[in-house]
Amino acid sequence: MQPQSNTIFDQSDLPPELCAKPLSLVGISGLDTLNNAIHKSIWETFNSNRRIERSPVVFRLISNAHEFPIVKPKRNSYEWYIPKGILKKNWMNKHLNEIPAVIAVFYDLDWNDSQWNEKMIECASRVQSMRAALEGRNTKIVVVLIQDSVPLPTGEDVLATERAVALCASCELNAKSLFVLPHGDHLQGYVVRLENAFYDLAKNYYYLEAKNVKSHREHLNKTTHQYLFVRHQFKMGFLNELRQDNHTAHKHYTHAYNNLLEIRIVDTNAMEIRTVAGFINYKLCRLMFTLSLPRDAISQFRSHTDRFKTRIGFQELAFEHHAWIAKQYSVFGDIFDEAVKLGLPAVQTQHPGIYYQQAAQYAILRKESCQELCQSVLNYPTPDPLENFKQLEFYGQRPWRPGKLTAEPPDPHLESKGIEALQYLEKTQVNHSNIIISLFGFAISQYKTYRCLRMRRHLVVQMAEEYYNSGDYGKALTLFTHMLWDYRTECWWHLLTDILCKALQCAFLTANVQDYLTLSLELLGTSTTISMDRKKYIYENILRVLNKQIPELDENISSNSIQNAQLLWKQFYSVDSILISLDMTNMLSCVDTKARFMQNRYQGDHHVVVEIFVRSSCPFLLQFFKVFATINTPEYASEYDVINLKEGDPSLRFNYNEVKRYVVEFMPDPNDIEKEIQIGAINLCMGNKDKCCVDLKFTGFDNDSNQTSPDLTHFRRNIRPIYEFDNLSLSPSALIVPRSSKINVKIDHHQPALLGEWYEIDISIINDEKFLIENLQLEIVLNGESSSQTEFYLTDAGKPENLPLQLRLNNLVTSASICKKILMRAYNIGPRNLSVKITYLLKSEKPVLSIKEQNLDILVVKPFDTTTKFLSAKFGDIVKFYVDEPFILMPIISCLSPWPISIEDTTLECSPTVSLIDTNVKSQVKGLVLRNGDSGADIYYAKTVKPSETFITVGQYSIKWRRQNGKTTLSQINITGLTVDSIPLDLELPLPAFGLVRTPLLVSYKFYNKSQQLIQLDMNMEASEAFMFAGYKQLQISILPESSKSLQYNLYPLVAGSVMLPKLSLTLVSNSDEKPFLDQDEINNLLERALPTHLFIMPQGKRIPIPSERVIETQ
Amino acid sequence: MAVCAAIIGKDNSPKYFTCLNPDEELGFQYKVLSSLDVIEEKLNSGNKSVSDTRELYLGMLYSLEKHKIYGYVSNTKIKFIIVIDSTNTSLRDNEIRSMFRKLHSIYADNVCNPFYIPDEPITSKSFDKSVKHIISGI
Repeated sequence: MQPQSNTIFDQSDLPPELCAKPLSLVGISGLDTLNNAIHKSIWETFNSNRRIERSPVVFRLISNAHEFPIVKPKRNSYEWYIPKGILKKNWMNKHLNEIPAVIAVFYDLDWNDSQWNEKMIECASRVQSMRAALEGRNTKIVVVLIQDSVPLPTGEDVLATERAVALCASCELNAKSLFVLPHGDHLQGYVVRLENAFYDLAKNYYYLEAKNVKSHREHLNKTTHQYLFVRHQFKMGFLNELRQDNHTAHKHYTHAYNNLLEIRIVDTNAMEIRTVAGFINYKLCRLMFTLSLPRDAISQFRSHTDRFKTRIGFQELAFEHHAWIAKQYSVFGDIFDEAVKLGLPAVQTQHPGIYYQQAAQYAILRKESCQELCQSVLNYPTPDPLENFKQLEFYGQRPWRPGKLTAEPPDPHLESKGIEALQYLEKTQVNHSNIIISLFGFAISQYKTYRCLRMRRHLVVQMAEEYYNSGDYGKALTLFTHMLWDYRTECWWHLLTDILCKALQCAFLTANVQDYLTLSLELLGTSTTISMDRKKYIYENILRVLNKQIPELDENISSNSIQNAQLLWKQFYSVDSILISLDMTNMLSCVDTKARFMQNRYQGDHHVVVEIFVRSSCPFLLQFFKVFATINTPEYASEYDVINLKEGDPSLRFNYNEVKRYVVEFMPDPNDIEKEIQIGAINLCMGNKDKCCVDLKFTGFDNDSNQTSPDLTHFRRNIRPIYEFDNLSLSPSALIVPRSSKINVKIDHHQPALLGEWYEIDISIINDEKFLIENLQLEIVLNGESSSQTEFYLTDAGKPENLPLQLRLNNLVTSASICKKILMRAYNIGPRNLSVKITYLLKSEKPVLSIKEQNLDILVVKPFDTTTKFLSAKFGDIVKFYVDEPFILMPIISCLSPWPISIEDTTLECSPTVSLIDTNVKSQVKGLVLRNGDSGADIYYAKTVKPSETFITVGQYSIKWRRQNGKTTLSQINITGLTVDSIPLDLELPLPAFGLVRTPLLVSYKFYNKSQQLIQLDMNMEASEAFMFAGYKQLQISILPESSKSLQYNLYPLVAGSVMLPKLSLTLVSNSDEKPFLDQDEINNLLERALPTHLFIMPQGKRIPIPSERVIETQ
Repeated sequence: MAVCAAIIGKDNSPKYFTCLNPDEELGFQYKVLSSLDVIEEKLNSGNKSVSDTRELYLGMLYSLEKHKIYGYVSNTKIKFIIVIDSTNTSLRDNEIRSMFRKLHSIYADNVCNPFYIPDEPITSKSFDKSVKHIISGI
């Protein structure tokens, strides 16, 4: 027979009236919310939109005919009263929901109502009937008049004052219990004010109630009324909570808890005391969190659990005790979490998750003790010992002996029946796993919030174990496999092995062959800690799977699950050939691969070689039948088999710790040229194609997470075998480059290039390939910085080409050639680096793009150097020009080029400040060929026009030149002259080309004054041994402005040869009153510059005999 | 007397693990690993003032119902963990601290052993013996 109530009752659950937040109850009477729109809106304003700032009041509509709970007869003496339990089940609900603290009677009545008297009487009668219904209660009654008009300020409306007094009198209320509610505007505001008034009244009511309960205390004695002590304190606490006095409530609850602890616990009341203790503890902890005393709450909870942890009560009902403790923890977790949500800061070591976790642990204990204790119970006992459960008067009592006093000995038969019933219910009605899993779920989310990722993983594993226990192997497997990664990365092999083993069973039970094989392969690896026997057993199971047999299981699992699993396996095997693909990424299996390209770059027509290393750390023989590599290009992936491998090949057989090397070779696709290819995957195939083929897919990079930091590897002894699998460096990607070309490129040019010249580069291409070449393209790239100073031309007329210079050329048949001439001009010296790149398509069976690249270094040097000399008209050196004084300009070209240069022409373009005196000049170097080290000079006679402080620009000297058999180049050079001074005085002494001995020579010194001032000079002619002369020896001369003066001398040469002329010196006459505009130094310089110093004197001819005789005579 | 001791490397992988009752090792491993959360948090928070950078003892990491877990971290981030039974009130903070110091010192000795490869799990029998000696508190 089944129990009458099928609802799962759990004595450890907290009743809803306990968990509800206590709010003052206010009854609202006289509102007809169904028919009266005004009443409806008033009620809604009261009842809805209760935000946090509104008073902690709950409203209840009470109809006129409402019946309130009956008041129990008052007891005058407790002397003979023996309480039957601690807390009555109906009490809290009564005060929360049934007995209002305040009743508000609403009535439509305006002060100036025409039927005032009748209505007043009706109102009074309503109040009276309400009062009668509440007979014996202390509930406050108030009247609220709903009025249309807005009330006047108090005291001004005489009528209102008068009628209010009358109304109060007829209702027997004091004036403070009468309220007016105008329902026009501002309803919300009036309602809030009314609400506050009601709340004040309610607080007063609860205060008085609590005081009333307290007054019972003096009648109690400690021997028989221990329960009442607890009950009264609890009631006071609760009533204070209703009036929101949390401090007082806390005090009373603490008293209640302490009083409860004083009661002696025996088997019969253990359940009741435990239940009530849980209630009071709940209230206490919750209040303490609200009062911001989280530490106190935690310590209260600790001491509570510590105290009750050991009080199991009936051994037969131990699961009940565990359920209760689990509930205590989970409820504490709930209120802690609630406090955290309201802003309490929690820390990593103290947060709600810890309590959920403990709750889960106790839930597990509950399950275990249930399994242990309830096994034998098969039937629900009759008559139902629990049928009174719903009618129980007190919390936490046994339904089969309600209200029994502790002193009475229990009926053993009834007792055992009751226990049996509870055990049956626990066994059949409770889904333990669900409870445990949901508690773990709460704990996991909390631990995640408080950054305890490892703890969280541990909980997930426990959760998975519970799923496993509950038979949900699929979920368990998912959770287990998700947790593997983290334990693997942190190398906790023992834990990893534990999880792997559990997951393996799940995989078996769900016939998840893929996971089954993956887990088996990982378990066979070196890092797991299972015994060799286990490994052997797992290995054999793998072989069974490969032969389409169902693996064996050695664990004791319910035969039901095994049968189910076997069905699933059979279903899986029903297909003819099975292909299972396993992703071996991110796991430490017993097989590992490494792969690499042999080179970083491969030419388009060469084989790409991939080297694959496979290592087996499986202690038993492993046989594969195929190895292939997947190569990824940016567009697609392709697979390549290892060549020369047959099924059953011994080179695919692996013993323990054996490493083998395989090579994959393939031709790259010509479309992949200039692209990067990567090793996408390495696949090993196990089993056989007919039955079951298992494809292990590796990344080709080592999965070994057991990597020590590189500096520690030096300490390692190298115990690993051949090929040094561990130390293999990987190159997972390679570049496909174009094939190297066989065409012949000759570049003909004559180094070094000369600055500014048309430098010829002859490129000739000869097709030495075996096929026609197409799309031939020549590209010239200038490397380095000097691109702006270098130009390239295809012809010597036209614009420079853009860089890089690209030229399309004609197709070339085999052994044909093509020639191309490129001209380069460089405008500064230094080296140039050119890349000549020839791209073409080779028309073989498979057209292949090929590239030939050649570098060219060209040094640019100066062809010649130009220097300019400035000389005075007498070929003397000068450091300055003087206005209107002619000078000589001599550009000298010195050849620096290793090649002979022929000068075609030179010209001088004078700047405006300089003019050529001799305008009709021809180049002196025209047609000259200069070799290295040679120089040629030009000459010009010029004068300056105006003075200048700085070096003047004389003009631009243009040289047209070429290499022999080269093209003509024009070089232009700016010539910079000297500073220009002006001097007002000028001198001139025209002389004949020569004189004759003893022949008078008439010379005339000319003085020019170019200024606007008078120049006065002292002139002195020194005597000379070579001449006799006639003229002024000493004279003061005055030269008028803009005029000239000349002094004539008759010179009579005495000796022949180049003889010195008599020296003329000029001294400035100092006029003290005038500032001299001419100084003596300038005059001296002028004398030196302008006057010849020597004259060539010829001897007399021999034809006159007489003088010759004279000569003999003189000898 | 401690029930379990563990040495955990820089990379959080176990280097040495022992507990009094070998049957409980799995459970202890889970607990010790979980306590690394707290160590990590303590090390990362970085609110250690300059004065106590030489304080390697981290104090209690977890207080579980049955056990208390204590931690200690060397300057090279080697973690030492000791698990004590909750009911054991005879061990005070100071005793645990000195237990950690002893562990640290024998660990340092072991690392100095030329036959020990750094960063590998410790398998030395004499090391095992001395750790057991330390945690049994004799």
